[in-house]
Amino acid sequence: METIKLNETPVRTARNFRINNIKLENIEIPNSLSNFKNVTISYDKNKIKVEEKANKVDLAYGLEHTLTEQVKTEANKNITLTIDSKEKAEAKINFKFNEQNKELVDNIEIIAKENTNATVVIEYESTSKVQNFHNGIISVSAKNSANLNLVIINLTNVETNNFLAIQDTIEANAKIIYTIVDFGGKNSITNLYSNLIGKCSENRINTIYLGSKDQLFDLNYIGELRGEKSNIQIEVQGALTDNARKHFKGTIDFKKGCKKAKGNENESCMLLSDTAKSLSLPMLLCSEEDVEGNHSSSAGKVGLKELFYIMSRGFTLKEAMKLMVRARFNEILENIENEEAKEKIINEMNKKLD
Amino acid sequence: MKKTELNEINRNIYDIKNKDEYDFKIKKGLTPEIIKEISIQKNDPDWMRDFRLKALEVYNKLELPSWGPDLSELNMDEIATYVRPKSKLNNSWDEVPEDIKNTFDKLGIPEAEKTSLAGVGAQYDSEVVYHSMKEDLIKQGVIYTDMETAVREYPDLVKEHFMKCVPVNDHKFVALHGAVWSGGSFVYVPKGVKVEIPLQSYFRLNSPESGQFEHTLIIVEENASLHFIEGCSAPKYNKVNLHAGCVELYVKDGAYLRYSTIENWSKNMLNLNTKKAIVGKNAQVDWVSGSFGSKISMLYPMSILNGVGAKTEFTGISFAGKGQNLDNGFKVVHNAPNTSSVVNAKSISKNGGKCTYRSLVRINEMAKNSKSSVSCESLMLDDFSVSDTIPVNDIRTDEVEFSHEAKIGKISDKTIFYLMSRGISEEDAKAMIVRGFAYPISKELPVEYAVEMNNLINLELEGAIG
Repeated sequence: METIKLNETPVRTARNFRINNIKLENIEIPNSLSNFKNVTISYDKNKIKVEEKANKVDLAYGLEHTLTEQVKTEANKNITLTIDSKEKAEAKINFKFNEQNKELVDNIEIIAKENTNATVVIEYESTSKVQNFHNGIISVSAKNSANLNLVIINLTNVETNNFLAIQDTIEANAKIIYTIVDFGGKNSITNLYSNLIGKCSENRINTIYLGSKDQLFDLNYIGELRGEKSNIQIEVQGALTDNARKHFKGTIDFKKGCKKAKGNENESCMLLSDTAKSLSLPMLLCSEEDVEGNHSSSAGKVGLKELFYIMSRGFTLKEAMKLMVRARFNEILENIENEEAKEKIINEMNKKLD
Repeated sequence: MKKTELNEINRNIYDIKNKDEYDFKIKKGLTPEIIKEISIQKNDPDWMRDFRLKALEVYNKLELPSWGPDLSELNMDEIATYVRPKSKLNNSWDEVPEDIKNTFDKLGIPEAEKTSLAGVGAQYDSEVVYHSMKEDLIKQGVIYTDMETAVREYPDLVKEHFMKCVPVNDHKFVALHGAVWSGGSFVYVPKGVKVEIPLQSYFRLNSPESGQFEHTLIIVEENASLHFIEGCSAPKYNKVNLHAGCVELYVKDGAYLRYSTIENWSKNMLNLNTKKAIVGKNAQVDWVSGSFGSKISMLYPMSILNGVGAKTEFTGISFAGKGQNLDNGFKVVHNAPNTSSVVNAKSISKNGGKCTYRSLVRINEMAKNSKSSVSCESLMLDDFSVSDTIPVNDIRTDEVEFSHEAKIGKISDKTIFYLMSRGISEEDAKAMIVRGFAYPISKELPVEYAVEMNNLINLELEGAIG
């Protein structure tokens, strides 16, 4: 059992604000990993090449040294997806945790070649209640004019320690759209670093999280804009009930030379109980004059008027709450084209709010 | 297109140096012996001497902040923490030595006293050299005096409140302040008394390689009200000067306090100041803050809303020019139901200056039905300045309305185009936009300070289509 301090913000603020990093106690990082067999990969074979190996990518930030090194040296699942088709391609990787497959350390590399167009769905889910451990790195390279939809779904059980570091590089005219569904884990800690190096490169990060019981979400998103007219949009919508906690750290960093770049960040948290807690740090860092940066953040309970309206139409309080949360999440959920994945998410949402 | 040019602050008046003459200057450094010597020189009571020595112990234990601007150039072995000017406390300007009086004359303090203030305190280096207040306020029981007099004459009031709102272990520079504090103002407004005209304290640091550590303690009793203005400046020297003042405000139930500051320290000054208010039931504290000077500034006034229905507003502007790193902001903690906070912060960076807005909004579990609204805007006037926004929002209960928004960018080309299409020249359009940007802050300042702020920013715009 270890105490680890991880997910440092790129710029520190006062220590007593308790947001520069997250300290987790009693975390068991497995020493020897057995093979993780419960994985299925489906993909368009003519358009995507899949290899069971991956490069050991150096991370600009990452979650924490030990976790990063574990992925680099001990990963029990290495996967590289190379997208090489101008026509729309699809791939889906599904990791199912169960009693025989409790520990996953995965290293996934996605290379979207020039002018390609693809959707990749990566799912992590638990089929039993035993505690799972997940530590992963997803590194993405979007070459010139590539277009990638990347859907990452975390539906692990509430006993799981879920650690995920994502890093991307986006070249000229390339675009990545992330749809991240973060519902699972006792501790779900995500670090996402986006490096927009190309002219007119674009990144849209859309995240929904839903916390119940004693779940903790620590999301640290860092977007560095370097290319002229580069653009990043971060949209994070969440709801917390019971004693759930969320830390959102979002940084948009306009680097010198990113003229006419734009960055917007919007974070909103619905508090569904008086013991749920929301901590946020939406940062704008700016070393370039000719840019537009905005952020907004809000938190509060579900609107009483809206609840009253829905209940006056014959719904119970619980049903009305579910509808409100669903309505909040819907815009982001609509990005997921895979109906099976969407249904799973909605079922999990209903279960958590029961 | 040529860049919009905003001139640096005209510092002619503020940079006037007097000869470094003093009655007593403590040797540089920070040791228990130096602290004991300060205590002897100030004729402290025993409890204050012991307090200083304990604060020094805390200072030695605490580390420099691991965040914010780089403070490595600060060497306490090169700073004299106590400089007694060659003047005693006076209540008539005629008794203040000529060169010191001339300095305050040029800063406009005696003139403002005649026209728009109910009382004035003027500190030169480490001691207050002038203090006075209108007779009618004295009759109503208002106390406005220097801190040393307060320690001697109102020991119970001082002991009850001194460094209780800002405890010495808050951070390293508060501990330093506790050890070496000198000068500052004490204000006590009795229950129900409304002080209609503002009181003002002005702090001037003249001595090179020295520090100013004034302590301001204001107690506004139940249903009373006060507007207090604080101004500060110093001439520029080649070596670092340090300002680590401390402001403690107690705003009791139903009371109102407005605390306005125009800070215009010289560009060799490290301004590491601490300001905090404890706000009672249905009471309100409003902060108005203009930050223009200093090489480095770390200043985050804080309101602790302890009473049901307590309110606070913060309105602030920072202007960072060449070589300046102004790390300013605001902190508010909601500790009771139905409390509210409104924050409106602006910053302008130019000529390589760096502005950072750093903040905390914490709404605790017991603060049901509280509201907080934060807005910050940053304007960059060239491509080698820096502007950062680092706000922390810590919401610990569901019955709240919290919103935060921030914007960063340059003067909008579209807005200039729109104004020009209405027949306004580009220069005038840009001037109008920058004045409009600063207006929400300047309108909150007393008139003479709003004028001073406009002079300080000196909005001379030369932009033209090139």
